[in-house]
Amino acid sequence: MIKLTIDSRTIEIEEGTTLLEAAKRAGIYIPTLCYHEALTPIGSCRVCIVEVASNGKSGLTAACTYPVEPGLKVITNSEKVSEARRLALELLLAQHPHSVRIQRLAQKLGVNPPPFTLEEKECILCQLCTRTCREIVGASAISFISPGLGRENNEAQIEVSQIKCIACGSCCYACPTQAISMEDSGDTRTICTPSGQMEFKLKRCNNCGRYWAPQKQLEYMAEKSGLELAAFDLCTDCRD
Amino acid sequence: MQNYTVFVPRLAPATENFAPGHRACIGCGEALAVRLACKAIGDNVIVANATGCMEIVASQVPYTSWRVPWIHTLFENTAAVASGIEAGLKAMIRKGQIPDRETKVVAIAGDGGTVDIGLQALSGAMERGHDFLYLCFDNEAYMNTGIQRSSATPFGASTTTSPAGKVSMGQFSWKKDMPAIAAAHNIPYVATANPSYPFDLMEKVEKGLMTKGPAYVHIYSVCPTGWRCPGDLTIRIGRLATETGIFPLYEVEDGQYKLNYDPPKLQPITSYMKLQGRFRHLPPEIIDKIQQTIIEKYQELKEKVAASTGVAGG
Repeated sequence: MIKLTIDSRTIEIEEGTTLLEAAKRAGIYIPTLCYHEALTPIGSCRVCIVEVASNGKSGLTAACTYPVEPGLKVITNSEKVSEARRLALELLLAQHPHSVRIQRLAQKLGVNPPPFTLEEKECILCQLCTRTCREIVGASAISFISPGLGRENNEAQIEVSQIKCIACGSCCYACPTQAISMEDSGDTRTICTPSGQMEFKLKRCNNCGRYWAPQKQLEYMAEKSGLELAAFDLCTDCRD
Repeated sequence: MQNYTVFVPRLAPATENFAPGHRACIGCGEALAVRLACKAIGDNVIVANATGCMEIVASQVPYTSWRVPWIHTLFENTAAVASGIEAGLKAMIRKGQIPDRETKVVAIAGDGGTVDIGLQALSGAMERGHDFLYLCFDNEAYMNTGIQRSSATPFGASTTTSPAGKVSMGQFSWKKDMPAIAAAHNIPYVATANPSYPFDLMEKVEKGLMTKGPAYVHIYSVCPTGWRCPGDLTIRIGRLATETGIFPLYEVEDGQYKLNYDPPKLQPITSYMKLQGRFRHLPPEIIDKIQQTIIEKYQELKEKVAASTGVAGG
């Protein structure tokens, strides 16, 4: 167990916990955008910034990636912290003025829209979709365009590979801003992403005739589970 | 409604604020619905829970399944208590006695506590515009006291106070359309949900919680004990209720109707009824009559939806 103080409250918690989880369990609110409990934290949105002091030094850090340390002093509500959060959110708001999620958070933190608008993109580059696809689904179909040194900051955009995508729609559920959307109509599932639109065939249930899951997803599940593809002939309702 | 399968459940909140170990019957659809609703609600909440199944099974002294602040109310005053909590919080925040943590207020009741006994208090709370979410878990009779009929019991169903026999044909009146009554109060959000469609249910509860002002979500809860059906068919019967048109999933946002799931072809209600003992006594002519009414009601709903999209489009 590790003892630390968050907002002058002493908290005891297991080693390996992040500051965000420790604060959450103690009932201390820290805003987040790119955090999801089921996914590896990456600290990309900078909204969960907190002030950390140890050994006489203090600095700002993202609470979602910082592990707890013994004797750490954490402040979540100082002027410095609010200023940093406000700035992060103001820039996000300038880039995505129509995102409901960001508008709601801005309202909560008392951030006014900046007088300028840079662009109007839906995707906030939180990487929840890329992480979901890699860690939850295992298909790794979503990535950034030209990752690594060659990437220009203002060109950052996610890209979905039509070959790797199994059309399961998990990214659509994970996306906090509706930058990825999906729609089933007849025998086709359409997935709209910032890098374009993709269409996938759905499989029909042999018993009730309902189009119940994408063909590619079932092929992927058959491959992963070692079952015959015929095991997925019936939909979940018709199976016994 | 999105057709999420297999992977998405791993992204659903893992925290269980409705703890296991409660005394609900095997296959209880209501316990499942409460668990899913609690996942969507989170922990920054005060729950007012009417007398009924969920209060009985989850709060037997000295145990409780509720990991959130929870208060037990009587049948008739759940909405009144919830409005009191909401007004009290507002006043204490205004006077600076507590910080504004944006705590939500949720009222939970069964069908008896909502459509029969608690209707007056609920109507008042919705009319006054309190900022709260009301969840009605509808298992279509007073189940924990021994399956007595309520006004949410469907036509023809056999209960202990509307028994099937020589004199009576089971429930003699049609199910009260509670979502329509809530929608008639012109509140910002009304929805119907079904734990057989878990992501739709969680989305609706969350939407209701985020709504400023009163929100009402009517949640269909299969009751194997009272409906005389096997406990392993809970999910299937729930899906059949929606696929036959008996319990359509829709939401009413600021008066605009939206159908969340429109099956290409409605299934015959016999596929739903034959799985339950409470409808076993019904002769074919009564089933035909019920089928007619279900189709008419479904058409009426679709007309409302069409009218709403027409207004929104034009």
